[in-house]
Amino acid sequence: MDVALQILFSGLTLGAVYAVSTIGLALIYGALNMLNMAQGGLLALGGYMAMWAMQAMGFPAPLAALTAMAAGAVAGGLIFLLAARPMLGGEGFETRIFIATIGIGLMLESLILKAFGPQPQAQSLRLDGGLMFGRVNLPWQNLLIFVTAILMLAGVALLLGRSRLGRAIRATSMNREAAQLMGVPIRRIYLTILMLSGALAALSGIMISSMSGLLPNMGADPMLKAFIICVVAGLGNVPGAALVAFAIGMLEALIQYLFGVQYAFAILLCLVIAVLIWRPQGIFGQKEVVRL
Amino acid sequence: MIRFLTLAPARRDFLIAALLFALMLAVPLLTGTRYVMTQLTVFFIWAVVASQWNLVLGVAGIFSLAQMALFAVGAYATAMLAYYLGLMLPAAMLLAALVTVGVSLVIGFGCLRLRGPYVALLTLAIGQVMYLVVVNDTECFTTPASGCLPLFGGARGFSRFGDLGLRDLLGSKWYIGHYYVGLVLLLAAQVFCIAIIHGPLGLAFRGLRDNPGLALARGVSRTRYQLWVFGLSAFFTGLAGAFHGAHFGVVGPTAFAFPMLLFILAMIVVGGLGTTWGPLIGAALLMWADEGLREVSDWREIGLGLVLALCVVLFPRGLAGIRLRVAR
Repeated sequence: MDVALQILFSGLTLGAVYAVSTIGLALIYGALNMLNMAQGGLLALGGYMAMWAMQAMGFPAPLAALTAMAAGAVAGGLIFLLAARPMLGGEGFETRIFIATIGIGLMLESLILKAFGPQPQAQSLRLDGGLMFGRVNLPWQNLLIFVTAILMLAGVALLLGRSRLGRAIRATSMNREAAQLMGVPIRRIYLTILMLSGALAALSGIMISSMSGLLPNMGADPMLKAFIICVVAGLGNVPGAALVAFAIGMLEALIQYLFGVQYAFAILLCLVIAVLIWRPQGIFGQKEVVRL
Repeated sequence: MIRFLTLAPARRDFLIAALLFALMLAVPLLTGTRYVMTQLTVFFIWAVVASQWNLVLGVAGIFSLAQMALFAVGAYATAMLAYYLGLMLPAAMLLAALVTVGVSLVIGFGCLRLRGPYVALLTLAIGQVMYLVVVNDTECFTTPASGCLPLFGGARGFSRFGDLGLRDLLGSKWYIGHYYVGLVLLLAAQVFCIAIIHGPLGLAFRGLRDNPGLALARGVSRTRYQLWVFGLSAFFTGLAGAFHGAHFGVVGPTAFAFPMLLFILAMIVVGGLGTTWGPLIGAALLMWADEGLREVSDWREIGLGLVLALCVVLFPRGLAGIRLRVAR
């Protein structure tokens, strides 16, 4: 019983962290057909900015989180303006933007390395202590992560489902040309999506670093996991991505308990390979009907 | 000059390959510096990988990131065959290349039903699984004098699995021998590429890339040609991995490292995706830039990232593409 509770707690926390960073990626892919490989850099940027805001500027925790998210949003916006916008609609966009964002991610990580040094650091934005359920400890930090993530997901769902902007985003993802003809300013929508995704990545970066510490390349593994989640859910499917994020988080916690931490990622990847071979379009993906 | 330009493309490319080969043959006679020789040998290795990867990525248009994993398979298979079975290194290298072809065929089969970015992720995941299996395996398979050795070498990898025999033959000048081995490897790989790109196989690959509907309707089988391209491009990739292991005398998990994958990918894209000479131009340029940036090692990664992003944004067809536009 204690074990089950422990797995549940850590699984939900992991899932929450993954969900926040994954929905940003899913949004971008849905609208632009763009895999943002700079996500890992954005995660690190968020984590480091939050620490910097608290330590160097003496900001209180909520303001530090907002600073980090603003930095993420600016970085996301710059990625669109400097890299994606010039090649939008050109041939081979998917491959080229994939590679361009790899370059940007590399630059971001190296700049962080230059600014903050290579040694691991602790995230200042974290809560100590916890709640005891019988013999199981639920750290406040995990609870905070979970609640923030749920609020964030609800916010994004409201934004997408109820607002004018959300309708424009959904319209652009469904059919770019038709949306443009109806007067949706798609370039501005793209910019908004990338900024939103950058802010979400920064928030996720704070969460990740509060659990495992800050390193310039801390974003690499979470980014790969976020992509896995996107692909398993079906690329561009935002609600599916959130759901799969929690499923993968639980699964990872379970595998960690059963087989040990060092095999968790490998087993997870094997499962993903199996899913992809069994359902190439992802679990929630629509089967693509190609008209020739 | 005019006659040269109007030559059939295949013959023109073979001619360029022959000229470059002759030029490179003479290099050790002009500068005997060990540093230059070794750097050029490494360049040959990466150029081979880039040219073969370009067959899959550029010519066939399949977004596979498995090439570095295949490179590692070649290196590991060589080391393991030589270490455990005591095979002569050249024999082990050839066998390893064949093993690589087998692994590549399996991967190609796995992504048959996938498209675009899904292929990229599946192949990336496969490479990552291999890396994790190698690094996380801490159980001793054998215990040589140097201590515990897991089946796949663990985090430390293999060393002392023999060499090409050039050290005995040439003494302290062995690195010149390796230079020529690398050069011949690159020549063979490039001639192989030219033959494929300008041959019927290349036509089928490009047909399936540019207009799959028409190609399928004309009876070009996707399954068959996808397996062909995965199999063919793996042979020299595996051989390059094997030679990399033989040249440095160690095979370790760094062969799977993501930065290396990015570096080679950058060579192909900067040079020109899907072009015959682009990968080699890109490999030369990036190796040179990498050397130049080593002086200011702090800025190396930043510079590399910047070059990568700028090239993709400014030159959609790579450097080889610019040359073509000027020529027409």
